[in-house]
Amino acid sequence: MAAVQQTIEHVAEVERYKHGFVSDIDQEFAPKGLSEDTVRFISAKKGEPAWMLDWRLEAYRRWLALEEPDWARVEFPRIDYQDSYYYAAPKETIGPASLDEVDPDLLAVYAKLGIPLKEQEVLAGVQGAPRYAVDAVFDSVSVVTTFKKELAEVGVIFCSMSEAIREHGELVRRYLGSVVPVSDNFFACLNSAVFSDGSFVYVPPGVRCPMELSTYFRINAAQSGQFERTLIIADKGAYVSYLEGCTAPMRDENQLHAAVVELVILDDAEIKYSTVQNWYPGDADGKGGIYNFVTKRADCRGDRAKVSWTQVETGSAITWKYPSCVLRGHGSSGEFYSIAITNNRQQADTGTKMIHLGADTRSRIISKGISAGRSSNTYRGLVSAHPKARNARNYTQCDSLLIGSCSGAHTTPYIEARNGSTRFEHEATTTRLSDDQLFYAMQRGLSQEEAVQLLVNGFVKDVLQELPMEFAVEAQKLVAISLEGSVG
Amino acid sequence: MSLAVAIETGDLTQLPSRRDEDWRWTDLRGLVRALPEPSPANHVDLADGPFADLNPAEANVVNGRGQTRVTVDAGASRVVALRFVATAEAGAHVARVSIDVGEGASLVLLESYEGAETGYVADAELSIVLGPGAALQRIVIANDSAAGVSVSLSDVRLDARSSLTQTVLTSGARRQRLETHVSHPGAGARVRLDGLYLLGDKRHADVTTVVTHVGVDGATDQLIKGVVAGQARGVFQGRIVVSQGADKTEARMGHHALSLSDRAEVDGKPELEIWADDVVCAHGNTVGALDEEALFYARQRGIGEIEARAMLTEAFVAEVIDRIEHDGARDIARSWVVMRLGSVA
Amino acid sequence: MMLLSVENLQVAVDAKPILHGLSLEIPAGEVHAVMGPNGAGKSTLSYALAGRPGYEVTDGAARLDGVDLLALEPNERAALGVFLSFQYPTEIPGVPALTFLRTALNAQHRARGEAEVSAPDFLRLVRARAAALKIYFDMLKRPLNVGFSGGEKKRMEILQMSVLSPRLAILDETDSGLDIDALRIVAEGVNALRSPSRSMLVITHYQRLLDHIRPDRVHVLAAGRIVASGGPDLALELERDGYDRYALKPLGAAA
Repeated sequence: MAAVQQTIEHVAEVERYKHGFVSDIDQEFAPKGLSEDTVRFISAKKGEPAWMLDWRLEAYRRWLALEEPDWARVEFPRIDYQDSYYYAAPKETIGPASLDEVDPDLLAVYAKLGIPLKEQEVLAGVQGAPRYAVDAVFDSVSVVTTFKKELAEVGVIFCSMSEAIREHGELVRRYLGSVVPVSDNFFACLNSAVFSDGSFVYVPPGVRCPMELSTYFRINAAQSGQFERTLIIADKGAYVSYLEGCTAPMRDENQLHAAVVELVILDDAEIKYSTVQNWYPGDADGKGGIYNFVTKRADCRGDRAKVSWTQVETGSAITWKYPSCVLRGHGSSGEFYSIAITNNRQQADTGTKMIHLGADTRSRIISKGISAGRSSNTYRGLVSAHPKARNARNYTQCDSLLIGSCSGAHTTPYIEARNGSTRFEHEATTTRLSDDQLFYAMQRGLSQEEAVQLLVNGFVKDVLQELPMEFAVEAQKLVAISLEGSVG
Repeated sequence: MSLAVAIETGDLTQLPSRRDEDWRWTDLRGLVRALPEPSPANHVDLADGPFADLNPAEANVVNGRGQTRVTVDAGASRVVALRFVATAEAGAHVARVSIDVGEGASLVLLESYEGAETGYVADAELSIVLGPGAALQRIVIANDSAAGVSVSLSDVRLDARSSLTQTVLTSGARRQRLETHVSHPGAGARVRLDGLYLLGDKRHADVTTVVTHVGVDGATDQLIKGVVAGQARGVFQGRIVVSQGADKTEARMGHHALSLSDRAEVDGKPELEIWADDVVCAHGNTVGALDEEALFYARQRGIGEIEARAMLTEAFVAEVIDRIEHDGARDIARSWVVMRLGSVA
Repeated sequence: MMLLSVENLQVAVDAKPILHGLSLEIPAGEVHAVMGPNGAGKSTLSYALAGRPGYEVTDGAARLDGVDLLALEPNERAALGVFLSFQYPTEIPGVPALTFLRTALNAQHRARGEAEVSAPDFLRLVRARAAALKIYFDMLKRPLNVGFSGGEKKRMEILQMSVLSPRLAILDETDSGLDIDALRIVAEGVNALRSPSRSMLVITHYQRLLDHIRPDRVHVLAAGRIVASGGPDLALELERDGYDRYALKPLGAAA
C-alpha cells in the first residue's frame, strides 16, 4: 500500500506529461528527406566501414519495394517519408571520451529528466540504491555511456552502436540483422537503412553482468525521426538485465520512432529486457505525439536459453510493437509481461509472438491492457508451434480493463499448433472498472481518483512485479499519471 | 472478393488467399488453380439426407439449383431440412437461399452439406432474417467429400427478443469454410453459436463466426470444439464485436481442440473487439493432446488404452452435442459423432 | 505364498533415481502400511506398481501371485487385481462416474475372460455399495470427480475399489484432505473390504489413518528404500519420535 500512497502523492504534484519540454541544444541535421544520399550521409557522419554502408544501402533499396503494413488496428494519415529529418545530433558530440567533454546543456537535460549520467552521483546516491549503467541517446546519437570501464573489467561490452561498429566490427557484423532480417517488415527495413545510434551489449560466456544496464532515449529535435538500433548478445551461460526508457517533447506534429532491438541468447544464457515507454502521447484531442513503430525480437538460439520482455507502454500517439521470442534452442523459454495504457486519443496495437521451434520450449504471456478516454487498445499476439517443437507449452493470460464508455479494448490472439504434443492455453477477459469495488473504496474514504488508482494498481500488479524494483516504482507512478482525468 | 464471385465471373483473382487477413489459414487461391466447368443440372435420385429420420419438410438445393427461399409465417412453427447437395463429378456452383422467420415464429433448420462425388467447388450463401421474438434453431451437418472445396456463408439478422441457437458439425473437406455472420441488436436477443469439427486424413475445416452487437442487453455464448488426427487442419476464427453503446452485453467464447496426431494442425483466432465499457466478455482457447493423467487413471481402473482414448475423446466433444435443444437433432448429432470419431480417432 | 512381492525395486523419474532398491512382501489377507517422510518415494512406489508412464523401473522385480507386474500395461495390471486409490484422484470431464465405472468393470471382466455384467446387475451392485459409503446415487451421474470435494473424491475411490474387487489395493495417502468424519467413513469402507484373499498396501505420512485401518505390519520408507519394518507399534513410535533418525541418513548409507 505504501507504493499506492506514494503514487497518489506523486500524482498531486505532477503535470500530465512532465517530459514535454524542448531543449535548446545546438544541433546539426541531415538534409530533409530520404534518399540514398541520406543513407550515405548518416554512414559518413558515423565514420562507418564500407560493409556497413553497403548493408544500409541494400536495406534502403529493399525498403523502396515494401509497403506499410495495414493489418494493425490503428489509423493515421499517410506518413510523408520525405518530410522528416533522418539525422539530428548535438554538434560535436560523436563519442566524447569522458563525461567532462559532454555539453553541459545536454547534461542539464538529463538531470531534468532524472537520468543519472554522472557515475559519482550514482555512487553518491542513497546508500544501498542499486547502481545502473546508462547509455544516453539524444536524437540520433549516443551522448554518453557510463560505467564502461567497470563493465569492461569483467569483459562486458556496453557502448553505443556507433562505437560498436567502429570498435567491435566483427561482433556487430556477425549478429546485426541475424534476429530481425533487413527486410523483415517495412519499419524494420527503414531502420536498417537509416538507423543512427542505439546500444550495444555483449556479455561473455559465464558472466553475470554486475549491474543493470540501461539506455535512455530522448527525441528533442522537431520534424525528426528517431531510428535507434539495439543489439544485445548473451553468450553461453551469461546473464544481463537491461532497461530502456524514452521521452520526447510535446509537439503538435507527429514524429516517427522506428527502432529495432535484437537479442541473441546462447546456451544457458538469460536476458531480461524491460521497457518503460513514455513517448509524448499527443494532447487530449490527439494532436501530435510519437508514432512508435518498433520491432523487437529475441532469438533463443541456444539450448535452455531464457528471455523475458517486460513492457510498460503508456506513451506514444500510436504504438505498433510486438516484442517476440524465437524459441529455437531445446528447452528454451520466453516470457512476455505487458502493461499497455491508452488514454485520450491514443492507439496501441501491441503484443508478442512466441514462436516455438525447438522441443520442450515454454512460453508465458501476461498482458494487461487499460483503455480510457477515446483511445483504442489492442492486444495482438501469436503463439505458434512448429512440427518439431515437441512438448511445446504456452500459457497466455490477457486481460483488458475499460475506463469510460468511449474507449476500445480488443484482443486478437493467433494460435497455430502444428504438432500433437503441443499444449496451449489462452484466457482473456474484458471488463470495466467495477462499480462495486469503486464504491467500496470510496466508502472507506478514498477519492474517486485514488480509488481508480488503487484498483488499477491491483489489475497490473502481476506485471509490475516483473520489473526491477526502481523501475517498478517509476512505472507505477506513470500508470497513475497516464490515467489522470480518465474518470468522472 | 469471394468464391461466389470467382465462380460467377471465372476470375480466379477473386479467390481469397492467405494474404487476406481473414483467410490466412484457408487459402483458396493457392489451391484452386483452375475452376471446374459449371455444375450440370442433377439427373440422379438423391439418397437420404442426414436428418431423414426426422421426416422434415425438405428444401433441396442440388448443384446450386432448387429451393431459393424458406419462410415461416408470423407465429408459425416449422421444421425444415435444407440440403445442399453436390452430385456432379466435377463442377462449380453457387447457391443462394434466403430464409425469413416471421415475428414470434420458430424454425428448426436442419441444414446439410452433402457431396459424395469428387472435385466439386461449391459455394452457398444464406441470408437469414428473424423477426421480433422469432426463434431459429440451426443444426448443420457438413458431410463433404474429401476432394471437395466448399464454402458456406450465412448472414443472420436478428431482431429484438429473437434467438439463434446454432450448432455446426463438420468432418471437413479438401478445403472447407463454414462462416456465419450475426447482426445482434441486443434488446434481449440471445445467440448461441456452437460448432464441432472432427477431422482426419488431410481434411480441412474452417469455422468462422462474426457476431456484432449493436444494441443494449444482448448475449452471445459460443462453444467450439475440435478433434484433429492424421494430417488434418482445423481452423476456428471467432470475432465478437461490441459496438459503442451496446452496454450490458455478455459474451463468452470458448474454443478447445484436441490433437490426436503429430502432423495435424489447429489454428485459432478468438477475437474480442469491444467499444463499450459496461460489458462482461471472456474467451478461452486450448489446444493439446488428451490429458495423460486422465488416460492413466482410466487405464489403472482396467480400461484398455484404445478404449480409454475413445471414451475421453467422446466425452470431450459431448459437451457441444448436449447443448443442442432439439431432441431428434441431438440424437442424430450424437450418432454422427460416434460414426465420425470411429473413422478419425 | 506371497500375494505381492517386490524385490530390489529401483525407479527413476526424469532420469532421477527415486527408489534405490526397495523390497517388500505382503502375504495374502494382510494389510501393510508404508510410512515415510515427504519425498521418501511413497507415491513413486504406488505409481511404479500401477505402471504410470514416466516412472521408469531401472532394476528389480514386482510380482503379484507370481506374475511379473512390470511387464504389463496399466490396464493389464488392473485386470490382474491391482487397484490404486489415488492421492489426488483425476477429474474426468464429460464421463459420468457410473459410465466410467461400468466401462472399467467390463473391461476387466473381458480381460479375464469373464462375462460382462448386465446393466441391471451393475446398477444393483453400485447402489448397494454407494449407500454403504454414503454416496448419493445422483452424484454418480455427474462427470467423475469433476467438482467433487476432497472427501467425495476419496469416497468415490473406495466405491470403485469396492465394485472392482481387487486382489491388491494400494491406498496412496487416502487420509489426506479428509476431516475426521470423512476419514471414518472411508476407513470403514476399506475395513469392509478386508478379506483373506485380498491384501492392502496403505501408504501414509501420518499414523492417524492407522488408528482406523489397523495394519498387520508397518514399514518405514526413507530415501528410496525400506529402512525398518515392524508390528503396528512401529507406527506409534514414528508418531512419537518422527522420521528424523531415518530421513537424516545420507543416501546409500544403509546399504
